Amino acid sequence: MKILKGLHIIFFLFLSALTLAQDVTITGKVTGESDGLPIPGVNILIQGTTKGTVTNFDGNYSIEAKKGQVLLFSYTGFKIQKVTVGDETEINVTLENDLEQLNEIVVIGYGTQKKKNLTGSVSKVKNENLDEIPVARADEALVGKVSGVNIQNTQGEAGTAPTIQIRGVGSISGDTGPAIVIDGQVVDSGFLTNLDMNEVESFEVLKDASSAAIYGSRGANGVILITTKTGESGRTRFSYDNFIGFKEGLQNDLLSVTVDEWARREMAATGMLSEKTQYKQLIGVDTPWQERVLNGGMIQSHSFSASGGNDDTKFRTSLNYLHDEGVLLTDDFKKYNFRVRFDTKLNRKFRIWADLAPSYSETRRFDGSTHDVLRQPAWLPLYHDENTIQFVDRNLYPDVQVGDYAVQRHFDNYDLFGDGSSLVDISTTNNTNPGAKILERDRNDYRFKIRGNVRAEYKFTRDFKFKARFAGDYQSRRQDRWTGVEASRLGTAGSSLEISNENRFHFQNDNVFTYDKRIGKHDINVVAGLSLETYSTKFESAQGTGYTSDVFQTLTAAPVIANAFSEAYESRIFSMFGRVNYNFDDKYLASVSFRRDGFSAFGVNNKFGTFPAASVGWVLSEEKFLNESKLVNFLKLRVSYGSTGNFSIVTTGSRNRQLESYPFLSLLGPTSAVFGDIVTPAFNPLNISDPNLQWEGSVEFNPAVDFGLLNDKISGSLDFYRRVSDQMILDLPVSSTTGFSSVITNRGEVKNQGFELELRTKNVNKPKIRWQTTFIASRNENELLDFGESNGQISNVDTKRPAEWINLEGNPIASFYGFVVDEDIPAEFINNPWERLGQTNREVIVKDLNGDGLIDDDDKTILGDPYPDLIWSITNDFKIYNFDVSFMFQGSHGAEVRNIGDQYVFRHFGGSSTVTNPLDLVDAGIIANDTFIKEKIFTNSIVQNASYVALRTVSLGYSIPDKVISDFFITKARVYLSGQNLMYLTADGYTGLNPEAIRRTSPTTFGYQRLGSPINQTLTLGVNIEF
Amino acid sequence: MKNFKYLILILSIITVFSCDDYLEPEPISTASTENFYRNDDEILGGIFNIYDGLQGVNDTRSSSNHSTQIEFYVTEMRSDNTRSKNNEGEAGQFDTFAVQSTNGLVADHYRSFYNVIFRANTVLENLENASDANRDKFEAEAKFLRAYVYFNLVRLYGDIPLLDRTITPDEVEISYTRVPTAEVYDLIVSDLTTAVEVLDNSNGRNRASKAAAQALLAKVYLTLEEYLPAQQLLEEVMQSGYSLAPNFNDVFYNESNPEVIFAIGYKEGILLDSQNFSAEFLNGVGRTVGVNYVTDNMLAFMNTNAGDRLETSLRADPAQPTETQVAKFFPNGDSGGADGRTFSFDARLAGNDWIVLRYADVLLMHVEAIMAGADETSNAEALNSFQLVRDRAGFTDPVSSVDKEDLLAERRAELAFENHRLYDLMRFGKANEILGDFAIDIGANFSSNDLLLPIPQLEISLSNGLMQQNPGY
Repeated sequence: MKILKGLHIIFFLFLSALTLAQDVTITGKVTGESDGLPIPGVNILIQGTTKGTVTNFDGNYSIEAKKGQVLLFSYTGFKIQKVTVGDETEINVTLENDLEQLNEIVVIGYGTQKKKNLTGSVSKVKNENLDEIPVARADEALVGKVSGVNIQNTQGEAGTAPTIQIRGVGSISGDTGPAIVIDGQVVDSGFLTNLDMNEVESFEVLKDASSAAIYGSRGANGVILITTKTGESGRTRFSYDNFIGFKEGLQNDLLSVTVDEWARREMAATGMLSEKTQYKQLIGVDTPWQERVLNGGMIQSHSFSASGGNDDTKFRTSLNYLHDEGVLLTDDFKKYNFRVRFDTKLNRKFRIWADLAPSYSETRRFDGSTHDVLRQPAWLPLYHDENTIQFVDRNLYPDVQVGDYAVQRHFDNYDLFGDGSSLVDISTTNNTNPGAKILERDRNDYRFKIRGNVRAEYKFTRDFKFKARFAGDYQSRRQDRWTGVEASRLGTAGSSLEISNENRFHFQNDNVFTYDKRIGKHDINVVAGLSLETYSTKFESAQGTGYTSDVFQTLTAAPVIANAFSEAYESRIFSMFGRVNYNFDDKYLASVSFRRDGFSAFGVNNKFGTFPAASVGWVLSEEKFLNESKLVNFLKLRVSYGSTGNFSIVTTGSRNRQLESYPFLSLLGPTSAVFGDIVTPAFNPLNISDPNLQWEGSVEFNPAVDFGLLNDKISGSLDFYRRVSDQMILDLPVSSTTGFSSVITNRGEVKNQGFELELRTKNVNKPKIRWQTTFIASRNENELLDFGESNGQISNVDTKRPAEWINLEGNPIASFYGFVVDEDIPAEFINNPWERLGQTNREVIVKDLNGDGLIDDDDKTILGDPYPDLIWSITNDFKIYNFDVSFMFQGSHGAEVRNIGDQYVFRHFGGSSTVTNPLDLVDAGIIANDTFIKEKIFTNSIVQNASYVALRTVSLGYSIPDKVISDFFITKARVYLSGQNLMYLTADGYTGLNPEAIRRTSPTTFGYQRLGSPINQTLTLGVNIEF
Repeated sequence: MKNFKYLILILSIITVFSCDDYLEPEPISTASTENFYRNDDEILGGIFNIYDGLQGVNDTRSSSNHSTQIEFYVTEMRSDNTRSKNNEGEAGQFDTFAVQSTNGLVADHYRSFYNVIFRANTVLENLENASDANRDKFEAEAKFLRAYVYFNLVRLYGDIPLLDRTITPDEVEISYTRVPTAEVYDLIVSDLTTAVEVLDNSNGRNRASKAAAQALLAKVYLTLEEYLPAQQLLEEVMQSGYSLAPNFNDVFYNESNPEVIFAIGYKEGILLDSQNFSAEFLNGVGRTVGVNYVTDNMLAFMNTNAGDRLETSLRADPAQPTETQVAKFFPNGDSGGADGRTFSFDARLAGNDWIVLRYADVLLMHVEAIMAGADETSNAEALNSFQLVRDRAGFTDPVSSVDKEDLLAERRAELAFENHRLYDLMRFGKANEILGDFAIDIGANFSSNDLLLPIPQLEISLSNGLMQQNPGY
């Protein structure tokens, strides 16, 4: 609390400092040299004071200053202009383009670099309008913004993390997501959930090995560097940003069939209506299950920030509240962010930064599955009403009342004709109502995260400095999961409460020396440092079962505590790193880096891994032969080669954190046995240790070209890359005779190669009208080169529906495997062909690939893989007078998905809609023998094209003219309308809800969906106000 | 330069942090096996761990040991006694003798049972630290359990890898070499002989005992057609104070009955120590639905042959009266109310023990040992043992002779759904005939190859050609 009080005092000190001194009022207009256009947002500061202002939208400013004071005009991309105040009260300024600065500065690991001097592959995304994209998470806003980065909304529930892959999947059992670094602080990807987008200045994505190698063991899947906003010197500025809107889940008409539509199909096919259908019509219910479960919701965000300071001390503080109701029944995500940041120069040599960002979120989960709801027939209501209650079988269900959940079995044994001649059964499951399964559960995640960071920099000389960082992040995650008495057909037997708590502390200390010197035409930058990290986690959980009522949802009230669990584990990292960037005359560029990481989970002899990298670049446009070119204003060739690593150890199946933390040791864990009803403790060996366990390494080669044509009217870059990852950390299967099924060890090799294109054009660049287009495309091919003993491994994720994946050398990881459909089975050979929702049956006729007249394992083949071959986006930004319009189309092609949702929704199991007798087909000469008939789940029938083209975002903004707002002390005001996924096209033959949805399994069985969550369609209205 | 003082300070802090120990944190919630099994308590903890292995884990994780909890799939469901309700997925393969080498339940069973062997071998390798007073007992107990597991494995898979020590993954030769069954039986006999010599009957029904070792060894001898030693062992068991529970129902629902010789212990309500099979045998109660349902063939047989045992053995599924459920293992003895699936507790955490050896089995083996491979016997002692079992079932008419069919039928009725049927058919040499006829009845294909399970495909693949699959797979 003391700290907060201190913050208050400092905050008010700044405010009061700004109200001092006033003399002459100076006004003027700032324009750009090249086009003569007014420049809004130019910083104007009185030298030696904290006083300053900014130009408004029309480039005008007004400031009070004394005669003789010096005004500094600064704006990114232009040279700083100094004007001494004389007697005049109007000072108009023309800013010269700064060719040095025209190239952006990009953040690279442990430093920054001019974009044009980069030799590695780094993409930068500035937060210009990202915070207006109505999504709950920062990473979702990056979809389509960076080439080579595939961000897929695999989960779709409010607040859940998308899957991020940079340049394909380079690891099999480890983590395949990039490392996340916020302001130099390494955090786990969970922090993206709690990041406030309004606080983000920019994202930098380190894609190739040479740029990521400075992060060594974390670099193999790329690195996303997030830079947050800092305070700016000058008048304290406040801003309020908000958006509010509605979301809907995109429905699929294939998945809803009304009772009447059903009847129509049956009539068309058979010329009559079965008793069951007549009965269903009689009930008179038509529940739109899709609408019930995809109930939509609101999304809103409110952000308030204040920032200011002087040359020596700057601050920024912000608050954010976001509430996403999600598009599914019950899902809900609320997030509260707070942040305060200070930078101060204590003297010419010593600077301190401090940053504290606590965040709290509450997530209510959708604790059910869409496939389970969407397979329900339309005749089933959610609750019984006066009408439906009369159909209940009173012999078996005497207690059912109006208002109770309706269960299919309630409707069985109905005397359709009132004379006992026909008792009709229409139920297909003994499950409870699908609505009950969701509404009677309550599953929540409560996350508190805090990130704190203190940096101190000491300049020994002008060129040589030392920076130390002490950073800590702490996460507390409490989960509870209540399964109510009515949530399942099991009643009390199925009711339970699970509560867990995880506390994770991560400490990081970096100590970095930087030497930066320009001698003549030689520009050299050297970075060297040491880093220490510890992760320490404590977890406990308990499960109570057998609740007889929903009144007390506590463990205290649990009749039985079935399970209690606790554990703790830690891991540590020690690193040394260094890098030299050199350029000669901005023409010849080179960079060499090195990192050596030690990680506690690796074997005694292999604790350390070394990750070197080198890259060179040649700026051809600086050479004489291109210097005068009208066509080419910038051209750079660069090539990089380097090595990165991955230390993430992930056990297959359920995570075993002990094995992941101490795999080099033979571990012994607690267990128990029962003797005469007495539970007796026992000791159980948990693993086979690998004392030689070591880093998973990647080597990447990346030649590329960056170009700017016609004075940057067309600019962009093209990268080729080839990355081979080997010594992958695998939970490698071993013979069961060892007593275990797998051992965590290094094995295997994967290759990813592809290209990335980024192209920007300035189509119109007139004073009042601008139009820019950005085109991004990337292509990746994944190939398993070596999989050791596991080559050809076939696995499934569900023993009841064991559709197969194969991991076979020469093919992509997690390729879908099975039979190829030849043709459908004609309806006359099928039981009850019209009974099923989508008129589909369980089996198909498959192809005899090897032509031996028999279908067996040899006729299985690879049916596709879950990785897109090509992802692209096109963004158009228009600025017309005070309006701005932007829209982005984004697409993905060539990925397949195993849509097991078909199995459920079209009921490809059980006894119905099966082949009446395979031999009839043989007799009819359609197939040679009965082996030709296979269930659809084993074929490419459910391996569907997951390509899509979406209008990802579209926004229309209006900046309210200065004249209107200046009376209200407002410096900037903008309103906008924004939409997400207003158009979303899926491929032919895709029958699910969301081609991006993928259930979490393992990297070797990736690409499995059970309908999943839908695409979110969002429409919001937003406001930005600065004052 | 005074600044360098700070620099040196910082660097020295780093040096302190970066000493070797920094990268070798000690596990907090687990222990390293190095320097473990140093005394009797720790070794006993290792022995209890073997029982824990047999108990299996009440979960569905693919990597967990499920041993006894899934054994019904590979034994009872492959006989003419039971099937799955919907013939669905991997479980359905057992119904129709259509087991694939990729079947996950087979792989689970193989893996789990070798895990139990690993646990036993771990104890046997660490006996040097045991006290002299206990060392032999520890050895005998571990060997009894190892023999029990090998006996099941050898009957289900035929020639199998044989390990009498722990191995590393590099030892591919021993991992994938299929040792002839005779050699496996040598180890089983030797282990059980040790157990018979050393153990006593003082530790209750959930731990190894002399009687259990004798009964099990007798069954091994019967399988090896060595009838005389079997008879001697069984008669010793019959002198050990066990008896038939007067009420057949008590065998399953009263754990203090005098009949059970060895049972794998479970405790209700505790995730780690309970079992799920009791729920799975019911309709829509367990995590897996409707397995180990009674075949029509068995229902007809039991209606004729079960006598007073019928009601305890099976019942019509209250929710689907045309289907028949096993009734010997209702979760904690609760039959699930009117619809057969309403419980006031979580039925998936059942505490019913799994009975491995009980006195009725001993009595019937006694008959079998005396019959000694002949087609029938009228030996008085054999008739006496046979009659004891028949009497309890309500068939009190004196029997004057017993033939093989009678004995097999009696075993089928008495020990129904206790995972004996497949082994009995094989031991009596009747498997091909009876299962062949049964397969025709249910429209399935059966061949004598189906008597052995496939070696899990994963093992064959991992062996890189070292390991040969059983014929027919």
